[in-house]
Amino acid sequence: MKAVIALFKAGSPWSIIIALLVLVLAAVPVGAVLGLLSIGLDEVYMRGRLVRAMGENTWEQQKNFLLIAIPMFILMGEIILRAGLARRMYEAVAGWLSWLPGGLMHANIASCSIFAATSGSSVATAATIGTVAYPEIENRKYNESLFLGSIAAGGTLGILIPPSINLILYGFITDTSVPELFLAGFLPGFLLSVLFLVIILIACLIRPEWGGEKPEVTWGDRFRSLPDLLPPLLLIVGVMGSIYGGIATPTEAAAVGVLFALLLAMWTRTLSIEMLKGAFESTMRITAMIMFIILAAVFLNFVLGFLGVTQALIKFIEDLGWSPLQTMIALVIFYLILGMFMETLSMMLTTVPVVFPLVVGMGYDPVWFGILVIVLMEAALITPPIGVNLYVVQGIRSRGGKFNDVAWGALPFVAMMIAMAFLLIAFPQIALWLPQSVY
Amino acid sequence: MNLLDRIYRVLERVSLWAVWAGGFALLLAAIMIVIEIVGRKIGGASLLGTTIQSFRVPGSDEYSGYVFAGATVWAYAYCLIHRSHIRIDALYNLFPQRVRAVLDVVGLALLGIYVVYLTERAWVVFIGTLEKGSKAATPQQTPLWLPQGVWVTGMTFFAIVTLFVLLYATVCLFSGRIGQVQALAGTMSVAEEVDEETRGVQEMKR
Repeated sequence: MKAVIALFKAGSPWSIIIALLVLVLAAVPVGAVLGLLSIGLDEVYMRGRLVRAMGENTWEQQKNFLLIAIPMFILMGEIILRAGLARRMYEAVAGWLSWLPGGLMHANIASCSIFAATSGSSVATAATIGTVAYPEIENRKYNESLFLGSIAAGGTLGILIPPSINLILYGFITDTSVPELFLAGFLPGFLLSVLFLVIILIACLIRPEWGGEKPEVTWGDRFRSLPDLLPPLLLIVGVMGSIYGGIATPTEAAAVGVLFALLLAMWTRTLSIEMLKGAFESTMRITAMIMFIILAAVFLNFVLGFLGVTQALIKFIEDLGWSPLQTMIALVIFYLILGMFMETLSMMLTTVPVVFPLVVGMGYDPVWFGILVIVLMEAALITPPIGVNLYVVQGIRSRGGKFNDVAWGALPFVAMMIAMAFLLIAFPQIALWLPQSVY
Repeated sequence: MNLLDRIYRVLERVSLWAVWAGGFALLLAAIMIVIEIVGRKIGGASLLGTTIQSFRVPGSDEYSGYVFAGATVWAYAYCLIHRSHIRIDALYNLFPQRVRAVLDVVGLALLGIYVVYLTERAWVVFIGTLEKGSKAATPQQTPLWLPQGVWVTGMTFFAIVTLFVLLYATVCLFSGRIGQVQALAGTMSVAEEVDEETRGVQEMKR
């Protein structure tokens, strides 16, 4: 520790930033880098203000009632995942959508968005739907690249369509209402799914051979498959309904979701001690991963706030003489570039606290900005070289193949996300209409 | 070497039990919260001519907070053993295996410094609570040493596991067993990550 502090005392602010970059790029755990950086800055510039309160602070953050929603929603998703609903749900959706040019690729998008509503994670959504859908590429001779791209892109809807872990985190670090954020995510999530469907449709109208062979589905099949869509719909209504019915806070709604998932698993006869152990392992592993980095980010934000970094940034932008719109477009470009290289959770936790006061100061709505940030995070998940969902989908390909196939296939969907970001800037009401009409 | 491996297996086992216990406690907390909501909502409604008394589960939000804190800190070690703490591996993946192993050990050492520091701060809080006999500022007046005890021991366990894995990985590095360093402290490969994420679907198939 002494050595770290000595290093900080010796260095100018620039050497601190360089040291930070070196450590992050050397693959030191991000939580540890942010934590050590906070402690170092605190010792040098704040005479131990942070460190004196660090223990109390850690305790308070770790029992925060809003954050309990995170493990609860993860647990809900993990139980649903193991209740064996994904395959039947996918087939039901496929029956309704596969007549469109592009066939099952539409089912990929639609079932991802339904699944996203039972899970707060993009990776889990892509992995689950991907595992179910992958064999169809060969069975029905789809264009592999576009098909894989549709899964990677569809999966990203997990963080936009509520419940969303990332929206909870945004609400937590910016003190924005999570129920309002959830409401605001609905319409853009739906619209983005539609944009994805449209781009698949266009691609397959131009190149019909990409769309694979159409499965034979009768109306009878379609209606018989409807009950398979019921459980996820009930869950959505139950969880979201209890928030907006004024019955429950996000954490309470998540608890309702856990119980509902448990009942569902009982109904499908998949509930067992072994199954629960597996769900607990995944839930706690992801929770620990998220909380460890949140804790460090909270420390860092405290220090940065004290040091006036945000004020310096605001002054810097003012001196540039940019209009709010120009600044916003610059931010979008900044996030798109950063998203190519950085993992989304660390990106959000380190940049949003600095950028948020700037954006709100320019008169933008906090809820609206949350949705815009999430759409940009979605793009980050599928832009190479570092895009988690691309890796996940690549990992599903049991027959192997080049990573570039997935990256190219996802590109049209990235274009749709950028379009969505600019639609949000042009028409903020896409995000704000629903929360404003409820609250 | 055998001794190190045996200790590692024991720590792995303990962390697994901790995660099961934490997950189970979380499930119980969810049930408690739901009972609280139901109790709050049905009060005043009438059923077959009798008015239902509303009831509350005192402190359900407070206790679920303790469960959350305890379960999370006790899961940190499991997360470390499963190499799931977030690292940026864009550059890391370009290096040869030997360089990566050195970076793994350096990363563990820095993590170790931070975690030991945090754990020390947690002990300061816990000892303060013991000395003052602090109680929660809630109607329940829960004696805080109890939940904080679970929390501080969990942090300590995480610190011990981090330092032990650091020791084990360093020994492996210097005795040239690079593959073992990777298995202990490397970042997860894509295949492993997908494997972790699709475990739910795989278990379902079995």
